[in-house]
Amino acid sequence: MKKYILSTAVLLTLFSVFSYSQKISFKIKGSDTVLPLSQLEAEQYMKNNSNTSISVTGGGSGVGLSALLSGTTDIAQSSRKMKIEEKQKMIDSGKAVKEVVIAKDALSVIVNLGNKVSQLTREQLEGIFTGKISNWKEVGGEDLGIIVYSRETSSGTYEFFKEHVLNKKNFATSALLMPATGAIVQSVSQTKGAIGYVGLAYADKSVKSLKVSYDKGVTFVDANIANAMNLTYPITRPLYYYYLSSIEKTVKPFVDFILSAEGQQIVRTEGYVPLK
Amino acid sequence: MKTLTHQKLKLITAILLFLSTSAFVSAQENAAEPADTLYPILEQVQSDLSVLKRLKISGYIQAQYQKIDTSGMDSYAGGNFAKELDNRFSVRRGRLKFAYENQLSQYVIQFDVTEKGLGIKDAYAAFTEPWTKAFSLWTGVFNKPFGYEIEYSSNTRETPERSRMYQVLFPGERDLGAKLVFQPWKTSKYNYIKFDIGMFNGNGTNVETDQYKDMIAHLTLNKTFLSEKLKLGLGASYYNGGIRQVTKYVYSIGDVTTYNAYTSGTGIKTDTATAMTSLKAFRADSTGVSGDKVKRQYYGLESQISYDWALGLTTLRGEYLWGTQPGLAGSSASFTALPTGDLYSRNFSGYYVNFVQNLGQSPLGIVLKYDSYDPNTDISGDEIALASKEFPKNPVLTVKDAAGVVTKSFAAPIATTGLADIKYTTLGMGIMYRWNSSVRLTVYYDMVKNETTSKIVNGSTLKDYSKDRTDNVLTLRFQYKF
Repeated sequence: MKKYILSTAVLLTLFSVFSYSQKISFKIKGSDTVLPLSQLEAEQYMKNNSNTSISVTGGGSGVGLSALLSGTTDIAQSSRKMKIEEKQKMIDSGKAVKEVVIAKDALSVIVNLGNKVSQLTREQLEGIFTGKISNWKEVGGEDLGIIVYSRETSSGTYEFFKEHVLNKKNFATSALLMPATGAIVQSVSQTKGAIGYVGLAYADKSVKSLKVSYDKGVTFVDANIANAMNLTYPITRPLYYYYLSSIEKTVKPFVDFILSAEGQQIVRTEGYVPLK
Repeated sequence: MKTLTHQKLKLITAILLFLSTSAFVSAQENAAEPADTLYPILEQVQSDLSVLKRLKISGYIQAQYQKIDTSGMDSYAGGNFAKELDNRFSVRRGRLKFAYENQLSQYVIQFDVTEKGLGIKDAYAAFTEPWTKAFSLWTGVFNKPFGYEIEYSSNTRETPERSRMYQVLFPGERDLGAKLVFQPWKTSKYNYIKFDIGMFNGNGTNVETDQYKDMIAHLTLNKTFLSEKLKLGLGASYYNGGIRQVTKYVYSIGDVTTYNAYTSGTGIKTDTATAMTSLKAFRADSTGVSGDKVKRQYYGLESQISYDWALGLTTLRGEYLWGTQPGLAGSSASFTALPTGDLYSRNFSGYYVNFVQNLGQSPLGIVLKYDSYDPNTDISGDEIALASKEFPKNPVLTVKDAAGVVTKSFAAPIATTGLADIKYTTLGMGIMYRWNSSVRLTVYYDMVKNETTSKIVNGSTLKDYSKDRTDNVLTLRFQYKF
């Protein structure tokens, strides 16, 4: 009997040591746009896989890619494609990088619920956000001054909107810069003449999403997940994960999870645009 | 008795409880103390760390083995080979760089340490204005803002050495001076434009020797297309400077018709009946005086294209330079000190084309480079190095204009051209292996071809330019970077 108990105790000890040594951990760092999605995906994955530990931090797409180059992160999350210079640095460091699109993000242009305007062309949006158009009557609305809300300059969302909607022109000096998306939604919902831009998931019922035209008013497209998925909604961007081929075995199960039906459902639930 | 024992027991229990509570409270107070003192220490450490993080130390070492075809040959693949030497180990570069970076300023010192000794490469300060952050001022010793190859660091450059023309025209790459840099901020739609303009001594990292300062300007445009798959770069450079003339004569190549001369009366007369055939030689302009400026002027164009596709990242890069270079009879290299003799002004041109193919996601890459440098575009082949016996005795140089009318006639020396006027082309090919972010191995072979002239033959392989010299070089390089 004693021998049996002793053997069982030894086996249990060995098993726990073995299990402990099989624990998988890795780090994700980068885009603040992708951060909430990565956190939720990681939480669910860790629930499904108790031997895995994933830490997720933000800092920006550029910070994540630099960390991947310096070896201080395992996955770089990014709301933009890796630049050729960054790719060259990876090559010069002997690092083979894998790129995976994990989801998409669409930006919705929002106005106050009391605003009569329901659609705008890209040119009109450019005029409004650069300050050239300052009254709603110039774009078919009532005689009311336009109040522009934007994210801060350090935000990837700010950069994306500036590059794709404003053609890299500067925002109006009168634009009010907000540190977070939620603050924009709240301000626009409370200010009749306000306009702003937020991720699709944040455009709730307290604000109105505008239809947007990129063909000078021929067709206007609604901001919704379906139109973002079929690429008819123009203000859409892919979200990336970058990791080294050398650790593919470690991180690929997690990446595959995000690309699976369960992972993509989390994408949809959190207001991002799933790949399928 | 029982009651007394019970009471005693109660008393003892109460005392024990009191003591343990006191100990617990005391422990809590003691436990609180480390936290109180830890926070200011932590703050101090964070503050010190934020200062230290601004100091960046980096460097690299390039150790290599080289083999040249023939002992004692001159070479631009890392320096000449000494007499009786056809192979060597060397530390080509050993760099140590200290950079201190604030938000809007940067201070850099970089040393080069090899078996040849210790030298300074960079020592500069750079400041960016806080309003638009588009303008920066650099002062000290730093890379001349000309072309592409100078500023492309030796630790990332795919070929072991820069092209011959850059080694001749910009020895050491650096100069002492100041420059203004303009580049719109990162979020501007014009961020792809960069403009540098500066004034320099023109003597490299050496002490200034004359009153003439050199101006260098460089404009580049770099943009990516096709979602970061294609990158295009274009640039133009201009160098306007000069060297102080130290003698009466400055030579330049000209087509001259020479005549035998004879003295007659008070002057020198030419015997037009015995005109020599036109020849190309250095003719001296003696109208200047010591202290005058002899022009040093370069123009440069550069282009680069990088494409990321299935085979890997492909890069094609090229530059073309031309202009006027003051030198000596035996060398067209830029001066790093005051010249000691007559100056020779040469029109030059040079170019290179560099092709790099990274093999997919592997650490391997192949590189091909063709570079050409003609230090004297006004003369070629057997025109080079006419022996002095072929010049007439006591020549009077008569210079004619386009209509054939004699415009000048004076007794003045002419000089032969020579080794400094020979054109070279180099075809190089190599393979790189990037072990990791610190280690790179390179195998590279330079095939050097020189312009030939039947006029430079003295029986020695080293001095025989009647055929291509045997001076190809194989380089095996190990680089460690941190």
